[in-house]
Amino acid sequence: MAQKKNIFLTILLSLFAIAFILPLLYALYTSFLKLSDINKLVPFHKWTFESYAKFWKDPNYNIPRWFFNTVIMTGITILGNVIINSMAGYALSKLNFPGKSIIFFIIVATMTIPYQIILIPVYVTMSKLGWLNTMLSLTVPYLYQCIYVFMMKQFFSSIPNELIEAARIDGLSKVGVFFRIMLPLSKPGIISMVILNFTSTWNAYLVPSTMVTQKEKFVLMVGLNSVKDQFFDRTNVIMAGVVLITLPVIILFAIFQKQYIEGVATSGLKG
Amino acid sequence: MVPGQSNVKRRLFRNDSDIPTAVLFIFPFLALWFIWFFLPFLQSFIRSFQNANFIALDQAKFVGLENYINILKDKAFLDALWHSVTIVIIAVPVITLLSLLIALAVNQNILGKGFFRTVYVLPYITSPIAAATVFMVLFRKDQPLAQFMTLFGFENTTWFSNVDLAMAFVIILFVWGQVGFFMIIYLAGIQDIPKELYEAATVDGANRIRQFFSITLPTLKPVTFFVVTVATIYSFQIYDQVAAISRYGVLGQPAGRTTTLITYFMQYGIRYMEIGYGSAAVVIFTLIILVITFIQKLLLGKEE
Repeated sequence: MAQKKNIFLTILLSLFAIAFILPLLYALYTSFLKLSDINKLVPFHKWTFESYAKFWKDPNYNIPRWFFNTVIMTGITILGNVIINSMAGYALSKLNFPGKSIIFFIIVATMTIPYQIILIPVYVTMSKLGWLNTMLSLTVPYLYQCIYVFMMKQFFSSIPNELIEAARIDGLSKVGVFFRIMLPLSKPGIISMVILNFTSTWNAYLVPSTMVTQKEKFVLMVGLNSVKDQFFDRTNVIMAGVVLITLPVIILFAIFQKQYIEGVATSGLKG
Repeated sequence: MVPGQSNVKRRLFRNDSDIPTAVLFIFPFLALWFIWFFLPFLQSFIRSFQNANFIALDQAKFVGLENYINILKDKAFLDALWHSVTIVIIAVPVITLLSLLIALAVNQNILGKGFFRTVYVLPYITSPIAAATVFMVLFRKDQPLAQFMTLFGFENTTWFSNVDLAMAFVIILFVWGQVGFFMIIYLAGIQDIPKELYEAATVDGANRIRQFFSITLPTLKPVTFFVVTVATIYSFQIYDQVAAISRYGVLGQPAGRTTTLITYFMQYGIRYMEIGYGSAAVVIFTLIILVITFIQKLLLGKEE
């Protein structure tokens, strides 16, 4: 009886799940079709990678350049976040210093304020500095995130203090303890942070579309949004674009699914 | 701990202050926060009381509450506010219910539950712009989803350029993208419920439905509360989906039917470069979010 009910539930859940990701499956499927085959069922041997080449090499837009810009933006942002957030999180968790509670308050307060409030002044500052349309406006203000400092602080708190003391007795300096002992131990926490940070930076639209208006400097999401309308009659090509742009996030998610979900659950629940 | 050992430690680390290391570790974070959060945050408030325009920022004058009064008198702002509230009223219950149901289903002892969990998270990690592109293709006149929706009595039309359906399109797109996130939150909450509660209930002869209403649902109350408030805040913050369908001209196309609090301040503050007016709009938006957060904290505090 219980067995039967489970099979029934599995089928029901499968149907609903398929319906739920049908738009993504449609994008994937259509990206392999010839233009004349769109919205038709086409056997596997007639599939083609042509649309991908067409999207990547489109003569009107420099899409490889947008891809490169996105990789640089995401890379710099993640590097900054890993270093800055872990150091701050470690200090808050394991070091004694005056003003600790004020800094903790700052982090929690900043987390509750919507980030849109800083957008106009940051835009004005970027313009004054001449940073608009450069990588600096896309990365510098986002090299840290309060939510991740908070996450790293929680993570370091779960590592016993005895480890620090033992390492100190072995002659490591306080900075050495962090880089040689604590950072390697906090790999799961850092992976969670990197995945969350990667996804949100790669997918970001509001900030990049505000700071960068020159076509050559676009990141992928801004680029995609600016060209998609022209592509609607070549559905297969734009779907190939969607797949290409989404693939890095999905691959990373597939590899680090556990850490990603844990990261969302902890940062979400406590944030 | 052995007493002798701790004496050794005390001797070893006497006058051994954490402060230099702490300064080194906190400084990069604090400096960035100060320059790129705190100062802009203050500037938004200050500018909101000025008639600042981007072209002549130096000549900005203090105008008191003028910007705020003009905003609250602006029909376009009230429309945008109403649209944002509409999104919240429709999207939040749907998101909450769907993510709870899916979490409960995925948590059952079924074949391939890890696979299902992944499937439901995929829309959440897909960028809203990429998702919008796919949905825009599908919801054009004569395309699969536009045709499918005629089964429910909708017109076969291009949804996102139709004044009556554009908002529905934005909400569908948004809900589809968010359910996975809240499902994860619910799943974490469900897995925290002690198994003993169900065992005891089974011994007492309570059936599954009874157990759901007298154990699962009440225990999940704080989680539901979190989901509702966070979903409300996220709904107020919708931007990418709207930007995707109004590529040309003013944000909030067609005919201003999808303007929101965010598109309103983006339109004035960034596109029209009315820094003062735009800032006042952001401050109003921020206050709304903070009130929601405050109510959440207040009610959660009462709960505990």
